[in-house]
Amino acid sequence: MQPVYVTATAQCLPGAPIANDRMADYIGRLSPEAERFGRLTLRQNGIRSRHYAIRPDGSSDWTVAKLAGTAVRDLIANAEIDPGAIGFLASATTQNDLMVPGLASGVHAESGLPPIELASLQSVCASSMMAMKAAALQVAAGEHRAAIAVGAEFSSRYFRPDFYRDTATAKSDGTLPGDAEFLRWTLSDGAASLLIEDRPAAHGLSLRIDWISLRSFADRFAPCMTGGGARQPDGSLKPWSLHDSATVAAAAGAFQLRQDVDALYRMLPVWLGEFMRLVDAGRIDPGAVDWFLCHFSAHSLREEMARLAERAGCMIPDEHWFTNIYDKGNVGAAAIFLLLDDLMRSGRLSPGQRILCAVPESGQCIMAYAAMTVVEGDSQ
Amino acid sequence: MTAPIAMTTDNRVLVEAAYRGLAQTWIEFESALAQVPVVARLLAGKLRLEDYRRLLFNLRQQVVEGSRWISRAASNLGPDHEELRSLFVRHAVAEHRDYRLLEDNYVAAGGSAEEIRAGRMNIGSEALSAFMYHAASRPDPVGLLGAMYVIEGLGERLAGPWSQAIREQLGLGDEAVSFLAYHGANDGDHLDMFDRALAFAIADRATGDEIVRHARIVARLYRLQLEEIDHG
Repeated sequence: MQPVYVTATAQCLPGAPIANDRMADYIGRLSPEAERFGRLTLRQNGIRSRHYAIRPDGSSDWTVAKLAGTAVRDLIANAEIDPGAIGFLASATTQNDLMVPGLASGVHAESGLPPIELASLQSVCASSMMAMKAAALQVAAGEHRAAIAVGAEFSSRYFRPDFYRDTATAKSDGTLPGDAEFLRWTLSDGAASLLIEDRPAAHGLSLRIDWISLRSFADRFAPCMTGGGARQPDGSLKPWSLHDSATVAAAAGAFQLRQDVDALYRMLPVWLGEFMRLVDAGRIDPGAVDWFLCHFSAHSLREEMARLAERAGCMIPDEHWFTNIYDKGNVGAAAIFLLLDDLMRSGRLSPGQRILCAVPESGQCIMAYAAMTVVEGDSQ
Repeated sequence: MTAPIAMTTDNRVLVEAAYRGLAQTWIEFESALAQVPVVARLLAGKLRLEDYRRLLFNLRQQVVEGSRWISRAASNLGPDHEELRSLFVRHAVAEHRDYRLLEDNYVAAGGSAEEIRAGRMNIGSEALSAFMYHAASRPDPVGLLGAMYVIEGLGERLAGPWSQAIREQLGLGDEAVSFLAYHGANDGDHLDMFDRALAFAIADRATGDEIVRHARIVARLYRLQLEEIDHG
């Protein structure tokens, strides 16, 4: 297979950073209880600011396709390659603007690119790694000389109070159950993109993609982060489309994003076990990782997990973690590309350094890892 | 946190590799257990009192053998494994009347003491117990540390939440769940002891591999024991 390289990166974060004390101006106020829960969630996730694609009145000029399209336009503007030589575009998101067609069509329309091959990858955070792997394999296989992977999220629009009021989810005082409230204080908006080519950029640094591994554990986990279904009394999830009507589905709360936080904690050992599997397979050498880009914060790993990792020689020391979640928020399927873009712009990379990306997805349990090596262009 | 594990730089890499093998074994085991009918009913909040009684009944027939195979293993640990032998002996003492808690719980949950004492092992318990005695009968059965890792892990990670869920779902008092509650509260200490044992025991890669292999066998057979509860 042809070696492949990340030769350019870009991001699109809408508007100004929004600090914690202004969040409720954007996602709206449900109840004092909800805001107390929000402060607790923020203490746990450590996020200090984020970006929203909505205005305080809930209106927006953005769509998820526009956010992604802007990240692609900026990517092309940064790239050495002629846009006409880019043959493939893969998009990643949790929820597209439309149910039909796929997001990649919307992004293509916004991007200014000529006719191109597409793939729309929809999952949760790990859809980014699916898009990156699709793009990397297209180039590695020689199908295209260059490919784009873009991730985008616009979740704030679902977090407005009117998306919950008068549904079975909201109690009469406006309070939501934890699994619905949690995400309002966790997720925010943005997009980021990568250009993947069959050669390093001539100028500056590129990242050679050494391998990408993604595995699902849906054989043992029920859906844990969901949208589009309503939980039934027997614990099963009824898809919105099997309700008597769209109105009935909406009233049942089927269109809300939910996260079962207890189930998420049960996934932590499985995510760590996947790391151990890759160590034993000789793919990860924890001692040789210069930059660990992990889409969850070190302090959310509970002590038990840290201890397990340490005993198994799988703990990457703090000084090798690179994170931006505290300032840029959790942007789901855009997060790992946003990390890569910030790392590329940090001025802290040097040739030969090794990068390990880690993207867990709670949806129905996926764990993805990718390894890259920093390389220098040959025209230095 | 306990005192640092007494590892030399010589065996640090080997001990870490064994932990990776054990952790992966445990993760697969825990995932697979959730699919076992009786555990699935417990996790779904649908456990019935008769399910719990059958769980106690079936566990008792295997637990009653626990300290006996540990003692036999201890007697087969030679002069090179004195520290380990002393750990095994202490462990056997700590556990050797555990089955009485199961009997008391069974009675508190509405069963009869005569009935549980007269019980026979299910097919999975037979396989598990036979393997334990077989492994314990070999010279220097260091691999059994892997078996202890799985069994103590059940106590440390699952017994506590299970006892809580059983109490809530069936409205039982403490006297009916003391076996699980005791292990939930104490097996963390046993695992600390296990850390020290592992550091003593692993002098070469083959020993580490044996420990992980024993853990995998015991995980599978323990699951078989729980699967067979429904086929009494």
